[in-house]
Amino acid sequence: MSTPRTLDPPSGARAAPRSRPGRTRRHPHPRNRLTWRRAVRRDWRLYSLVIAPLLFFALFRYLPMIGNIIAVRRYEPGGSLFGDEWVGLHYFQMFWSDPTFWQVFTNTLILGGLTLLFTFPVPIILALLLNEVRTTSVKRFVQSVSYLPHFLSIVVVAAIITQMLDSNGVVNQALHAVGHAPILFLQQPGWFRQIYVSSEVWQTAGWGTILYLAALTTIDGQLYEQARIDGANRWQQTWHVTLPGIRPTMVTLLILNIGTFMAVGFEKILLLENPLTYPTADVISTYLYRVGVVSGSFSYAAAIGLFDSLIGLTLVISANYLSRRLVGASLW
Amino acid sequence: MVTISELRPGRKAPAPPARVRIKPSRGYRVFQVVNAVILIGVVVATLYPFVNILAQSFSSESAIRQGSVNLIPHGFNLTTYKTVMKDSTFWTNYRNTVEYTVVATFISMVLTTCYAYVLSKHHLKGRSVLIGIAVFTMFFNGGLIPNYVLVSQLGLRNTLWAIVLPNAINVFNLLVMKAFFESLPGELEEAAAVDGLTTYGILWRIVLPLSKAVIATMILFYAVSFWNSWFSAFLYMDRSDLFPVTVYLRNLIAGATGAGGMNEGTSSDTSLQVAASIQAVTVVLTVIPILSIYPFIQKYFVSGVMLGAVKG
Amino acid sequence: MNGPFTKNTLSRRQALFGAAGIAALAVAGCSNSSGGKSGGDLSGNRDGAMAKYGVGDQFKATSPLTFSIMVLSNPGYPYDAKWPFWSELTKRTNVSFQPTVVPLSDYNQKRSVMVGAGDAPTIIPKTYHPAEEAYIASGAILPVSDYLDLMPNFKDKVAKWNLQGDLDQLREADGKYYLLPGLHQDVWADYSIAVRTDILQKLNIAVPQTWDDVHAMLRTMKAAYPNQYPLSDRWSSPGPGPGANRLMATLGDAYGTWAGWNYQHSWWDATAGKFVYTGAMDQYKQVLQYLNTLVSEKLMDPESLTQTDDQAKQKWANGQTFVISTNAQEVINTLRKDIAHIPGATVAKIPVPMGPMGATKTGFRTENGVMISAKARNSKNFVAMMQFIDWLWYSDAGELFAKWGIEGTTYTGSVDDGTFKLAPDVTWAGLNPSGTQNLQVKYGFFNGVFAYGGSTKLLDSQFPPEELAFQNVMNGRRTLPLPPPHPLSADQREQATLWETNLLDYVDQQSAKFILGQRPLSQWDQYVTELKGRNSDQYINLINQAYQSYKQKHG
Repeated sequence: MSTPRTLDPPSGARAAPRSRPGRTRRHPHPRNRLTWRRAVRRDWRLYSLVIAPLLFFALFRYLPMIGNIIAVRRYEPGGSLFGDEWVGLHYFQMFWSDPTFWQVFTNTLILGGLTLLFTFPVPIILALLLNEVRTTSVKRFVQSVSYLPHFLSIVVVAAIITQMLDSNGVVNQALHAVGHAPILFLQQPGWFRQIYVSSEVWQTAGWGTILYLAALTTIDGQLYEQARIDGANRWQQTWHVTLPGIRPTMVTLLILNIGTFMAVGFEKILLLENPLTYPTADVISTYLYRVGVVSGSFSYAAAIGLFDSLIGLTLVISANYLSRRLVGASLW
Repeated sequence: MVTISELRPGRKAPAPPARVRIKPSRGYRVFQVVNAVILIGVVVATLYPFVNILAQSFSSESAIRQGSVNLIPHGFNLTTYKTVMKDSTFWTNYRNTVEYTVVATFISMVLTTCYAYVLSKHHLKGRSVLIGIAVFTMFFNGGLIPNYVLVSQLGLRNTLWAIVLPNAINVFNLLVMKAFFESLPGELEEAAAVDGLTTYGILWRIVLPLSKAVIATMILFYAVSFWNSWFSAFLYMDRSDLFPVTVYLRNLIAGATGAGGMNEGTSSDTSLQVAASIQAVTVVLTVIPILSIYPFIQKYFVSGVMLGAVKG
Repeated sequence: MNGPFTKNTLSRRQALFGAAGIAALAVAGCSNSSGGKSGGDLSGNRDGAMAKYGVGDQFKATSPLTFSIMVLSNPGYPYDAKWPFWSELTKRTNVSFQPTVVPLSDYNQKRSVMVGAGDAPTIIPKTYHPAEEAYIASGAILPVSDYLDLMPNFKDKVAKWNLQGDLDQLREADGKYYLLPGLHQDVWADYSIAVRTDILQKLNIAVPQTWDDVHAMLRTMKAAYPNQYPLSDRWSSPGPGPGANRLMATLGDAYGTWAGWNYQHSWWDATAGKFVYTGAMDQYKQVLQYLNTLVSEKLMDPESLTQTDDQAKQKWANGQTFVISTNAQEVINTLRKDIAHIPGATVAKIPVPMGPMGATKTGFRTENGVMISAKARNSKNFVAMMQFIDWLWYSDAGELFAKWGIEGTTYTGSVDDGTFKLAPDVTWAGLNPSGTQNLQVKYGFFNGVFAYGGSTKLLDSQFPPEELAFQNVMNGRRTLPLPPPHPLSADQREQATLWETNLLDYVDQQSAKFILGQRPLSQWDQYVTELKGRNSDQYINLINQAYQSYKQKHG
């Protein structure tokens, strides 16, 4: 019994469609004529595996989503949890016409974009650099140390940053040594982006290498042998063997990060910003926090939240589509 | 015949290619030096704050307040460690953290692995729907109050399930695992099926052993995130003996920095200054255990698929 | 960047909803009519209550009762179920608590979630006005002003100490108030600036009396130590406020405006009989001018506006600065300890320097207090609960108990005649430093959840002699009257909020720029115009309207 099977060369994250032997197909129908009855009969064990996770999604993720309905209803504290009356796009209009909202929206885009731009490649580069280290113990040591910042709480990190940028801090001491007057970095809107992005890179680079290093171990060593026999030097080996080897991980992470890039760190910005730096530092979440503290319009926040989510979802779908077209790899 | 280049299984990582004694080019040696410099820089940048906190935890209070503690403790003493470790609340909270982390990681791993495995089967009818269900939740959620009401109605408050269940599946981890499963060669599973294994058997006996690297990684990711999480516990626990140590720590630090202090205003209840050394000690004690997991996980990163199984 | 779980932080979504969750969030189907009737028929709610309960009576429930309460756990003295406070309280009143313990770090957020979900405990203390306003429209909390007849001690103190004006500040558009605040006999002036008195001596400077004196003092210090900033302030981060917010508040009091921590958008102009926008006032400009002078003469560290408390304290501890804002506790707990290593260094909190307003003080005699869940109204123990709250928080005996504990065990003597003393081994803050048993940590007394407010004598009993001297000076100053009430309705508040946030952001930002010299004060008129462009006029009109309509309705 050898049912013919085709095996497409696996490329990127999309593996070949495989037939499932073991239960011989009785009616060799083309795939798109596979009815649910047949599908369940064939794959019931697979379906059984997803029951518990689906329950989780239904109960803890989708059920509470009904609460979002208040973005289009007047949630009058006092009435029902689902709002009292339909107000249509009233809250959306409220923030669309608020100029401050657009300013913080722009800041969110910029900060998120810059963060993505810099925090995405750094773990990859670091993983590749670590891969070149000969001594395993050194490699392990550097790696373990590099993800220490991930474990520090935001409050501690913010304290470290303010300390470093203090007028007596390390940076200003260095400036002093070259004869420059001290700069109060945290009071200048022009410096905030650099400070924020650098701290993000510092905090996430080491942790990000874990995934890539795990991916690197799955690359077949014989491919390297092959490449070397073909005369490739180290750079070319990296380019032609290593990078393609970790491409699925890279693509997955990139798509996911594009989708969530607007979720810039609320707490860190809250701790580092001050009124002088609002023009570049204030983002949607911190702005809403201030609005909330004064009165707290839950519907308003929900409307903005929905707006954000829609953007994120659109981005992720587009990124996935583009990725499939351009690189042949995608999340789904 | 399947060529080697068409497969991308992992294997026991071979010894570094330099075993073949080709004299490294000059460019490569320069690169090695540059690499070393960069990595040293990385180590310094990431190690420094931690050493600083470590030093603070052994220093005297006045030295810390003067900001004179850098890499070495000033006024070395163990009293702060003794004070913190004598506090029974600290240990209760610590035990809670361990408990929550272990249970939560286990449950999350089971759910995520099952779901990811199923998602990796391209032939499955309804697969895109299943993926969509998961991805959608990355962007939309119900908000604080609906979630709170739900957990409350389910009677999960003040139990460990309030921490374990609502965050059981992280879609990011799910998608990464799915990508890994998809990269495994299909022949192995097909061969096993021919041998009569069911889906469950294939998953348990073939796929999981091949996926040690990703499983180890995900265990690490989940464990760390549960270990560090404080928000769920803070929200759903009303008794201080149920708090994990992160809530304890957050209260210490927030209380000391006066982040809550502005609200205290002029009331007679000005929060006592929590010693900076106590903060440092608690940070150290909280971070060290989770740090020590990684070296154990590291060894799983070098094992992988046995290439020999699919030759020919 | 995003990876497996945003780590131990508030995820943005949590923050989004959490912040807005400070709003009123009500449970489905919660009746919103419970605030309507004034008092109403209480015959079904008297279980456990004392039949005759008045001022000076010890409350004791006629049957054992339990009330749910939200307890803030202060990291300085974390919640301990074994505190003698709990057991002694039950012994005296026959009431025990069922506590929901919430860490100080996020108390407000948890409170808003619980009230919003309808799950809140009956008694919710540590509520700072106007936080309770968010829950009013939902009917989630009790209009306590309707039930004062059940609280004889509260009424007695309001009458004795003439607190009607202060209570009026808490009234809402319907004329009622929804918070039971802490009551003080007199304005408690706690904050001022601390100065290195040994430096004063060394440079032969007298203790400054006015802000001009302070200016001169700083100049002299600078002349002697040209490479240092004599003043580097704290309480700037996190906001709101332009920075050095406590200093600004103190200056605001001296010049006759709101500033810094005390900032409110509207200031009552008594002569004109209406409210004006604070950020555009001339007096506010003068505050900024003063600070700008200090910065430009290099007397105040420009970093004061943005640095963390730790940084400011560090500069103090290193002897780099000589002046810093403070309160009584900080002098003892922080400032003095930090300079102990500098030979001969001494510090004192000087009486608040005076400005154009002269020997006056501003402040509210009400402070944070207790919210009560509306559901309690229907409980059969309602009357007993109100009596209990009245005893614990407002009776002389209750206040004394909550603050100092058990006579003979934790203290001896009486506060009324100055014989009060803590028991030999009991310590608290600056009192009895050699004691080993901390009153708050070991016994659970003087807990910020229960012990605040009270007569001036009770307050004075906690002060060491140096603070008493300060208090004496401050008590000699005239207390300024408070603005008349001007509460907004729920609809008005929705619009006002957005205006307020925008205005506050702008005022804070421009104030910081003016102070630091990034924007010259000659552009003040332009700035006022910019404020108008941000609806400051519309906002003040709204406030004035609210004031007028309240005056008409409630006199």
